[in-house]
Amino acid sequence: MANFRRFRPDDLNKLSKCNLDPLTETYELGFYLQYYAKWPSLFQVAEDQHGNIIGYIMGKLESSPDVYQFSEHYLPWHAHITAVTVAPEARRLGIGKLLTEQLEVAADANNTWFVDLFVRTTNFKAIAFYKSMGYSIFRVVKDYYGDHSSDPTRSSEDAYDMRKPMKRDVKKEHIREDGEKFEVDPSDVW
Amino acid sequence: MSYAGYGRPALKSSVDVQLQTAFSDGNWNSVIRLADKRAKSLKDPYYEAIKICAESQLDGVAEKCAVLVAIDELAKQKTVPDIDTLELYEWAAGDFLDEDIDYADTLGPLRVKWAKANPKNTLAVECLQACLDHWDLVSAQQIATALDKAYLGSGDRRYMFWSISLTYLLSVSPQCSDTSRKVYSLLVLKQLERAAAITEDSPKVESTDRGLLNDEEIMLYYRVLLAHGTKEDFLKRIQSPRLGALSQLKEGHKALFWESLGTLESWAEWDLIYDLCLKAFRLGLNGTTPTFFVCDWRVWKSFVAAASKAADPDSALREVQSILKEFLAIDTKGAESIKKNLMLALLEITFRLPITTSGSDVGKKGLTPRVIQIGLFLDQYFERLSAFDDLKDHVADLTFEEAKVFMEDVVPKILDGKPDKPKQVILTSLKCKLQYLLTTCPQTLSHHPSVVDGQKQDKPYRCRFCSHLTSLPCEYCLKQIILEAATTHKQISADKELINAIPRLDKDPRLDLSLVIGTSLLKLSALPPNASGVTPPAMRDTNPGLLLQGIVVLEAQLRETPSDSGIRLLLVQLHLLIGCASYAHQLWVPMDVKRTIQDALSPLFFDRISSISPGLFQGSHPLMEPLRSYYSNSLRDNCPLRIWDAFSAGSYAGILRMSEYDDTLRRSCTLMMTLVEERRATRAFGGKIDTDIEAHQLTASITDGTKFLNKTDYGSFSNLESFHGPPIQDFIRVGPELSDERARLSYVSEQFFDILAFKPPKDYKPAKTNEAAIRDRNYILECLAHQSNSLTNVLHQPKTASLLTSSELSYFTTLSLLSAALLTSISTTRADPAPKSLSLLTASIRSSLTSLRTTYLTTSPLQTSATYFSLSNMHMLAHTRDTAVAVKHAAAFVLALHERELARDRSGKSALHKDVVAEMKALESVASKTLAETKSHVQKLKESLGESGWLDNMLGWVFGEGDETEGEPFRRAVSDILGGTYGAEEWAGKVLESWREGVKGWGMVRWE
Ligand SMILES: CC(C)(COP(=O)(O)OP(=O)(O)OC[C@H]1O[C@@H](n2cnc3c(N)ncnc32)[C@H](O)[C@@H]1OP(=O)(O)O)[C@@H](O)C(=O)NCCC(=O)NCCS
Repeated sequence: MANFRRFRPDDLNKLSKCNLDPLTETYELGFYLQYYAKWPSLFQVAEDQHGNIIGYIMGKLESSPDVYQFSEHYLPWHAHITAVTVAPEARRLGIGKLLTEQLEVAADANNTWFVDLFVRTTNFKAIAFYKSMGYSIFRVVKDYYGDHSSDPTRSSEDAYDMRKPMKRDVKKEHIREDGEKFEVDPSDVW
Repeated sequence: MSYAGYGRPALKSSVDVQLQTAFSDGNWNSVIRLADKRAKSLKDPYYEAIKICAESQLDGVAEKCAVLVAIDELAKQKTVPDIDTLELYEWAAGDFLDEDIDYADTLGPLRVKWAKANPKNTLAVECLQACLDHWDLVSAQQIATALDKAYLGSGDRRYMFWSISLTYLLSVSPQCSDTSRKVYSLLVLKQLERAAAITEDSPKVESTDRGLLNDEEIMLYYRVLLAHGTKEDFLKRIQSPRLGALSQLKEGHKALFWESLGTLESWAEWDLIYDLCLKAFRLGLNGTTPTFFVCDWRVWKSFVAAASKAADPDSALREVQSILKEFLAIDTKGAESIKKNLMLALLEITFRLPITTSGSDVGKKGLTPRVIQIGLFLDQYFERLSAFDDLKDHVADLTFEEAKVFMEDVVPKILDGKPDKPKQVILTSLKCKLQYLLTTCPQTLSHHPSVVDGQKQDKPYRCRFCSHLTSLPCEYCLKQIILEAATTHKQISADKELINAIPRLDKDPRLDLSLVIGTSLLKLSALPPNASGVTPPAMRDTNPGLLLQGIVVLEAQLRETPSDSGIRLLLVQLHLLIGCASYAHQLWVPMDVKRTIQDALSPLFFDRISSISPGLFQGSHPLMEPLRSYYSNSLRDNCPLRIWDAFSAGSYAGILRMSEYDDTLRRSCTLMMTLVEERRATRAFGGKIDTDIEAHQLTASITDGTKFLNKTDYGSFSNLESFHGPPIQDFIRVGPELSDERARLSYVSEQFFDILAFKPPKDYKPAKTNEAAIRDRNYILECLAHQSNSLTNVLHQPKTASLLTSSELSYFTTLSLLSAALLTSISTTRADPAPKSLSLLTASIRSSLTSLRTTYLTTSPLQTSATYFSLSNMHMLAHTRDTAVAVKHAAAFVLALHERELARDRSGKSALHKDVVAEMKALESVASKTLAETKSHVQKLKESLGESGWLDNMLGWVFGEGDETEGEPFRRAVSDILGGTYGAEEWAGKVLESWREGVKGWGMVRWE
């Protein structure tokens, strides 16, 4: 049983189904509240019949700081997915997809060029998930993560920067076909 | 105003370089010297301010306080203050603000004065922000209103909504006096009604108009309307053409529709709900909104509920059904969760229609449309992990006849239709869960005369499934369920094909089977639900072997599926229950409960932890530090975290919610638990407590009227119980959950201990010692009177006893008696008549101490089973100790005061009454005796645990040796899946180790 709605701060008391899963990071209170305060339409949840949160997506709207305007890595106005997670028991029911679609509606409403996100290159499930919804790899950020999710002997892991163009990008100028081949350093991304 | 390093304000640009440099280098002595010079030569008071500000950075108390005097002076002046001076003072007063001086009485009004005089200056917004940072709503509201007025006609709507939001916040804040509250409530409602009228009446609202434009503004309006308006106005508006719920839906805003359903339900406005839902679903069907936009479970549920309350429920429900079918006919494009919502809504409707038996199979009484519908759902969704949760309330709602047909005909038929082996075991494990669920439903039992032939029967029911006489739940059925689950479990493990298939399934079916077996064993052990305090300790009435075996089964499963938090949480609680706190901690840590989720989840491990195992606090890391620092970080400022972000982003509904959330966090039961557990552990080891609990930064907003909130999240517990009885956590928690009552009692008890530790400051030698002594004594009396009142008030509430363990009840009751006894003792001097009530109070104190002591200490730990019961009830030992310590310290406190008075006042007149002295000495000796006994009990526990044979004993229990159930088939079946005693040895070793560690910790506790 599921409901889809905007996040409310008191949902933070009902996160256990999502956040006790080791793949889901828990942040400081100020982090959640900042997203809620600034981009409420990009913070969506799915809840079960008891009010437990069984999935959520957090995102923001931004562009690179003006000083980088002429840099090749400059990012124009876009939405960024900071976190998306679905409780293990509620996966493969389309909840992640519905949440992401909600965020995309808000991204279009805010006239953004694209939605982007970072994902570990070994998080195959999530990559398959994003690809199924039309996201593609835009570039590879070398050693983006300070640890490795599956290999404890390694001290870092690469990220894919994945993107999906929004309505504003009529000519599909902000995506690439061979993004896997474009490698950048963490210092090149914002 | 810009800031330079460490939040230090930059000086005006007109200030010379030398002084600027000294200031930015923090070279305070030079700043003082230079500023003094400039002040004299330039006659500019700004330099005087710089000097005062620099002085505040020095160590001397007088220098530090000069800025407070300066602020006071400034506040008294009628002229508009200089903003740079204000900034300097605000920075310099830093640590004193809100502690020693109230922002709302000093700097706030100064900021208002400046902002009103310069509303169009960009710094006016900073003044507003500064007031918000200190949560001075009165000043902030005034500034926002001034800004709104100044920018009227400029088209900047921000200020209008800032002003409105703040007026509302003020109208519901304790900062507002009762008379102003009315004014502000009216004002804010009127402003928003005006804005609503503009939106409603004009063909198009421009972004420069003062109407309501976006969803945040509209939600703000409705929130205010609900709080301060009338029901009629709300009902009218929610159906209006522009601002109504449906028109907002058309614009893509769901929140209003959603939230209004809750409001309308609370008013039982079923016709309106029905109408709104019907129209909303039509919008989806005709393509006005995205098809499944409102297909939430919550909306369907409201719709069905409203239909069942309609004048003609039958036809209304049929209409809902036909709409549902229209949705079901549409391709949901992978949104399985939506489709499931639709199926569940269909099921919900069947449960609202009158029960009729299905026409096709008249012979079977229980084969109703409800059963058929559950069967259809099950057939489609049994593989989903959520299948059990989706169905459980409906299955528990079936009549016995329906349940019987469902379990005996429908489920087996579905099983027959699944030749695929993995599917079969998934369904079988789901069936076991459903069978267990039904044992928790009273309709499966019938009453049996409780007295037969003059003999009281201990089995007052007959199970309608198996016909055995039983109590609730049916033991025979539980045993059968265990047998079936264990058999299936064994089957899976022995089948290569299945084992190979498991990694491809969403979940290993053995996990559910273990859960069923484990929970059934717990129930068979006769663990009573802990919804109320139980005396004598519940554990003594349980069968340790069955309980421990249940734990072993769950433990074995966790080893296979370590990431399953449902089972892990059960095990954490169960190990706390049997007194293995250090092992419970090992189980707890991998869940990585940190940061934000601590408020809701920490009680699952930390509640009562100091009473179960104080030794845990002696580890290398401060046990509860992460929790404490979470609260300190999140509540450091008086203002809600990140609230300014919401103001600047125009998230007006967000502002209200964030401020409400902040309020609930400040009065969280978990927060109080954190402070109290740490203090009790510190006291147990004779440590020093730095701050009185009342003076603690985290209790600053707590008043007598504060209601504490329990927000513990049990959502992740694997819970197979039906809604007819308590959930699983109520059976396995050490006592009732956190509550406002327990938080209050704990808070006041800590205040009592603070008073007992009260000593006049050593370095403070008052000139008039007599006056000071009287003042101190009056202060003590005042505190005691307040504490005694608070404790008695809570203890006298009828439900309080059921919210505490019996040990806690004795502990708090004794403390309340003690505070009253102290009050009488300290106010009765030698010259007064003998205090009659005192001996009554002390007699009650002695008797409650004796009862705690005898309940706990009567069993001798020299028998293994008695040791086990003692170990699983250290909570009571802790309270026996804490109560005795309180009595002892209280008596010592009175006697010390008596001695001090004798020394001070040689006439002896102000010394205490001789009866008081005698009573206190008597109390002291009873308490000492109790402490000595408790200490020796711990020693005996240690010796008993040191003896050999423990492991064998435990394994014997687990496998039923000498138990009445020994040799029963269910026992053998469980033993089989555990692999015999071998499978439990490792666990038994850990438990024993954990008990020994716990008792070692108790050995370090101070018994004085
Ligand atoms: C990634 C995640 C959010 C997906 O959520 P979800 O609700 O299960 O996904 P959906 O059901 O909406 O899946 C939509 C589509 O994505 C693809 N997909 C999703 N999970 C997949 C998986 N495990 N393997 C392959 N494809 C998958 C499928 O194409 C799926 O459509 P289908 O089920 O009709 O085949 C969820 O697995 C999760 O919470 N993972 C842990 C947290 C995480 O990794 N977050 C991403 C960090 S960047």
